[in-house]
Amino acid sequence: MISRVISANVLFGLAPIALVIALWQGLVSFGFAPTVLLPPPGVVFSRLLQQLVTWTFQLEIAATLIRLFAGFAIAVVLGVSIGIAAAASPAINAVVRPIVRVLAPLPKVALYPALLLLLGFGHGSKITLVTADALFPILLSTYYGASMVEQKLIWSAMAAGTPRHEILFKVVLPAAMPSILTGCRIGLVISCIVVFLAEMITSTDGLGHALVTAARTFQAVDMFVPLITISLLGLILNALLGALRSYLLRGFPEA
Amino acid sequence: MISPATMVKRAAPVLACIGLLAIWQIASLALKHDSFPTALEAIRAIPDILGDKESLINILASLRRMAIGFGIAVLVSIPLGLLMGRSRAVAAFFNPLLMVIYPVPKAALMPIIMLWLGVGDITKTLVIFLGVSLPVIYHSFEGAKAVEEKMLWSSAAMGLSSAQRLVRIVLPAALPEILTGCRTGLVLALITMITSEMIARQSGAGNILFNALDMGQYDTVYAMIIIVGAMGICLDAVFERVRARLVRWSEPQFDIPLSFS
Repeated sequence: MISRVISANVLFGLAPIALVIALWQGLVSFGFAPTVLLPPPGVVFSRLLQQLVTWTFQLEIAATLIRLFAGFAIAVVLGVSIGIAAAASPAINAVVRPIVRVLAPLPKVALYPALLLLLGFGHGSKITLVTADALFPILLSTYYGASMVEQKLIWSAMAAGTPRHEILFKVVLPAAMPSILTGCRIGLVISCIVVFLAEMITSTDGLGHALVTAARTFQAVDMFVPLITISLLGLILNALLGALRSYLLRGFPEA
Repeated sequence: MISPATMVKRAAPVLACIGLLAIWQIASLALKHDSFPTALEAIRAIPDILGDKESLINILASLRRMAIGFGIAVLVSIPLGLLMGRSRAVAAFFNPLLMVIYPVPKAALMPIIMLWLGVGDITKTLVIFLGVSLPVIYHSFEGAKAVEEKMLWSSAAMGLSSAQRLVRIVLPAALPEILTGCRTGLVLALITMITSEMIARQSGAGNILFNALDMGQYDTVYAMIIIVGAMGICLDAVFERVRARLVRWSEPQFDIPLSFS
C-alpha cells in the first residue's frame, strides 16, 4: 500500500520533468525555435552518449574531476578542523568568528583573477577557488554541530576517564557528524558548480572549457553536452555522499 | 552605555577586515611578486575606479540587474515554496524537477541563453533570477512545512479560508526561515552577477575586473576585488539589520550560507 503511494508520487514528480522535455521537443518540432539554437532533446542525448565514450571527452571529465575532488577534499579537512577547533576553544572562536563573518558573504569568484595572477592558469587557481567556496558551508555546519553537542555526553566521557584529546574524536566528532555531512553535501554541489564556472572563465581543458569552445563556434548541441554532464556528475556525487551518509550515520535516530 | 564587551563584539568584524588587509600587505611585501600589489596600493586605486564615470555606470548597471533579478525571484519563489510546504501534491510535483535543476551551474547557462536572448540585460537578469530562486524556494518550503498544525486548525475553525491562512498564518510563521533563504539568495545574486559578467564580458563590474586583468592593470584588479567584496559584506550586513527588524520575535538563527551559483 505504502509502496503504491510512493510510486504514485514518483510518477507525479516525473510529470514536470517529462513536461519540460516535451515542451523542449515541441518548441523544436513546431518550428518556434530553429534547430541551430535549440537542438531537439533526442539529438542532445545521443550526442552525449556518443561523446561519453570518446577519449578526449573523458580527459575533459577527468581534468574537471581532479580539480573538483582536490578542492573539495582540502575544504573538508580545513572546514572540519577549523570548525571543531572554534567550537572547542573560546580563544580560537574569538578569532575565527569575525573573520568568517567577513569572508563568508564575500563573492569568492571575484578572487579568481587574483588567484590566476598568483597561481597561474593551471590546476592551482581552480582548486583554490573550489576550496574557498566549499569551505564556509562545511566550516559553519561543523561549528554548529560541534557546539550543539550535549554537555552531558562530554561529562560522562570525562567521568569514564577518557582523556581530553580523545573526547574530540570519540564524542564530539561523531555527535557532530550529521551536521558535518549536511555541510559537506552543500559544499560538494558548490564545488561542482564552481569548478565548472572557473573553467568557463579561463581554462584550456575541462568540461567548462568544452562548453565555452562550443559556444564560440556556435555548436548548440555541444553546448548542452558538458552542461548535462556536469549536472549528472553533481547528481551522482550527491547520491554517493547520501549513501556514505546513511552508512556513517547508521544507528542515529533520524539519519 | 555600551559595555566594553559589546564594543569588542561590534568592532570584531572591522578588526577582522583590518587584520586580513594587514596579512595581505605583509604577504605581498614578502613575496615581491609583480602581479601582487600591496593592500595599500590596491586601496589607493579604489577612488580612481569610483571616480571614473564609465566604471561607475557599469557598476550601477550591475547592481540594477542584481536588484531586478533578486526581486522577481523572491516574488515568485516565496509563494511557490509556501504552497509546496503546505500541499503535499504541489511538493511531489515540483520536488524532483527542482532536484534535477539544483546541481546545474546557473551561470553556465549564460552562453545558451545568450544564443536565444542576446547578451543584453535580459539574459543576465534571467540568470540571476535562476540562481536566487532555488534557495528561496527551499527555505520557504522548509519554513512552511514546520508551521504548527494547531495554529492552522484554530484559524480554520475561526473561519479563515485556505488562501487567507496561507497569507496570515503560514507566511508570518515561516518568515524567519524565508529570510534566511533570502539572505543566501542575496549573496548568490551577487556571485551570479559577477560570474555572468565574467563569462559575457560586455559591461558591468565583472567586466571591469577582467579587462583590467587583460591589460595588466593589477592595482585595478585588486581594487575591484575589494569593491566587490565590500558590496557583499555591506549587502549582507544591511540585510541582517532588516531581518532583525522584521522578525524581532524569533531567535537569531545561525544560518549556513549555501553559496551555490
